[in-house]
Amino acid sequence: MKESFIAKKEPWEAMMTATALQELDFGTISTLDVLGTDVELFTAGSGAPLLFLHGIDGVEGAAPLLRELARSYCVYAPWHPGFGASQRPENLDRVDDLGYFYLDLMAALRLERPTVVGSSFGSWVAAETLTKEPGRASELVLISPLGLRTSHRRESHVTDIFMLSRRELNERIGRYEPELSALPEDRLRREMRGEEALSLYGWSPYMFNPKLSGRLHRIVCPTMIVWGADDRLVRSEYRTRFAKALPRAEVREIADAGHCVHADQPEQLGKLIGDFAGVKNKA
Amino acid sequence: MKVWQFSEQAYHPAFEVPGAMRVTLPQHHCDPQTAGQLLNRYLDEYLLADELGLNIMVNEHHAAATCMSTSCMTTLAILARQTQNARLLALGIPLANRSNPLRVAEEIAMVDALSGGRLEVGLVKGASYELFMSNRQPTGFMDRFWEAHDLILAALGNEGDNFSWEGEHFHYRTASMWPRPIQQPHPPIWMTASSASSGRIYGKLGYTCATFLSGAIARSVFAGYREAYAEQFGRQPERDKLAYLALIACASDRKTAFRRAEEMKSYFTTAARLDPQFRNPRGFNPVEANVRMVKSDPNAMRPKMRNGKPLPVDGSIEEYMEAGLMFVGTPDEVYEQLARFHDETGGFGNLLMMGQAGELGHEDTVDNLTLFAREVAPRLAELTDVPVEDVRYEAVG
Repeated sequence: MKESFIAKKEPWEAMMTATALQELDFGTISTLDVLGTDVELFTAGSGAPLLFLHGIDGVEGAAPLLRELARSYCVYAPWHPGFGASQRPENLDRVDDLGYFYLDLMAALRLERPTVVGSSFGSWVAAETLTKEPGRASELVLISPLGLRTSHRRESHVTDIFMLSRRELNERIGRYEPELSALPEDRLRREMRGEEALSLYGWSPYMFNPKLSGRLHRIVCPTMIVWGADDRLVRSEYRTRFAKALPRAEVREIADAGHCVHADQPEQLGKLIGDFAGVKNKA
Repeated sequence: MKVWQFSEQAYHPAFEVPGAMRVTLPQHHCDPQTAGQLLNRYLDEYLLADELGLNIMVNEHHAAATCMSTSCMTTLAILARQTQNARLLALGIPLANRSNPLRVAEEIAMVDALSGGRLEVGLVKGASYELFMSNRQPTGFMDRFWEAHDLILAALGNEGDNFSWEGEHFHYRTASMWPRPIQQPHPPIWMTASSASSGRIYGKLGYTCATFLSGAIARSVFAGYREAYAEQFGRQPERDKLAYLALIACASDRKTAFRRAEEMKSYFTTAARLDPQFRNPRGFNPVEANVRMVKSDPNAMRPKMRNGKPLPVDGSIEEYMEAGLMFVGTPDEVYEQLARFHDETGGFGNLLMMGQAGELGHEDTVDNLTLFAREVAPRLAELTDVPVEDVRYEAVG
């Protein structure tokens, strides 16, 4: 463990895997050491390996989709460094860094070529990872992806979530949440860590890496982009730009789903991913 | 006690616009002719303060109708030339929201040179809600502040060769102050505190410590400061290391004073008009501070009245007086209120006096400042030290 963490023992470090996350009761939460960084990892199911990279609502928020995926896959869903109870190395502060971090994490888990699924912010992380080592995924699924330029001068294509109150954000992404003050302290601490980490990675440039568009051509594995038809964060121009940046990718739209397709249509999305990744052939 | 005139230089005609006064208020509500007249008026009042023997404090905010001074140093550059005697305090320059601290050091040096060495410099972190305008990272706010602080002080006091700076947040090939500041190694440094723990940090550094509109909390801020100062320097600090900011409405009769106070009170009600998500941007507060804040009583941060109850934002003038945020009445009454507050907090050597606030007009401000300077300030100057053993420390902050 790095000295900086010993010097600054934070209350959240004691809560590692101690928090009751009832929505994830169909799997196991453990700690994974990635070259000295303790990562909180959710695993569930059995079958071909699938790495899930969470969005702005954490692994918790994707529980409905993960439950579906766990029926056919061995699902690995880490909390990104700085989220949940995962440590963050001090100089890991860009999503570009997360890209390298997840190559190390896959090595630590001995995942050769898993199916990689990202949602929202996690899609950006997945894309960064695979531009660095394109051969590391058998298939890539990008749900409501971010990571490309979100605005052009005065024209904005993705709502600035940092200008929204938490309540407004919840409304836009269709997340039900009690008042923060009603959350148990551990749970509240996880939420506050998630907000901090999201701000660190996504404040400026807002939710994108200007280098990513010039690197996306390196992604050669079969790729599918999925949008919720009623996404209230991401506008249609942005979707068009994403499709152009990944010209070989399949693009699917799911009705009656917003930004969090993983929570709004988990069964349909689970089936879509299974069909795309050809789970039957692998089993 | 030194007295410093301070006005936030509000564009008060916008107060009638419904909704937020900061961040999101559209600029079409600002008539630039009116803004120019108001800015000139506030400068005239600062010039009057100089003539009356008072000192001068300015601040800055961004995207706010409550404060049109968008740069401390621009305002002070004017006053450096147009005033004669006043000390000129910038409180403060928001370092964690500034992208270029070397530029800050240059402006400090230039205004100090222009004013003949009358500048005093508040180095402050900056308002959280102004991150939306500066677009600096909310995370790392404090680290950035201290690195900027270190660089500015190194640049101002440098008597050796030019140096380069390769920090975590700032990078310069060469730092060279032309002109240098007259006051060496640097003008007096001020910082602002609202808890005993931040008071302690500044006590250890020996900087002047100001607390704004904090009422009873001022006592614990000052106690924290004194304790750390004494530990560091082996003696009690001079009282002029401590400062308190409050609104003052003085008039030759009580009725007029209260009318003035009512006109100033919109300072408080408009300052509070800000959509809540801007108050605490994601990533700004440390996680544990956010956890505590969510779990604590929303009134915990409000100043308290002498009866221990939190002061409502829309409280009466009497309630604001009870909390030590306003001092209102005839010169005798204002003196007595201030002398009592001075003793209750253990004593402080600087009164940062909002002699203009909110919608208070020019004539009233002139009379307020004049009466205060002639009849209250000389008596405040004679206040004596409060013996340290009489100061009851409170475990706050």
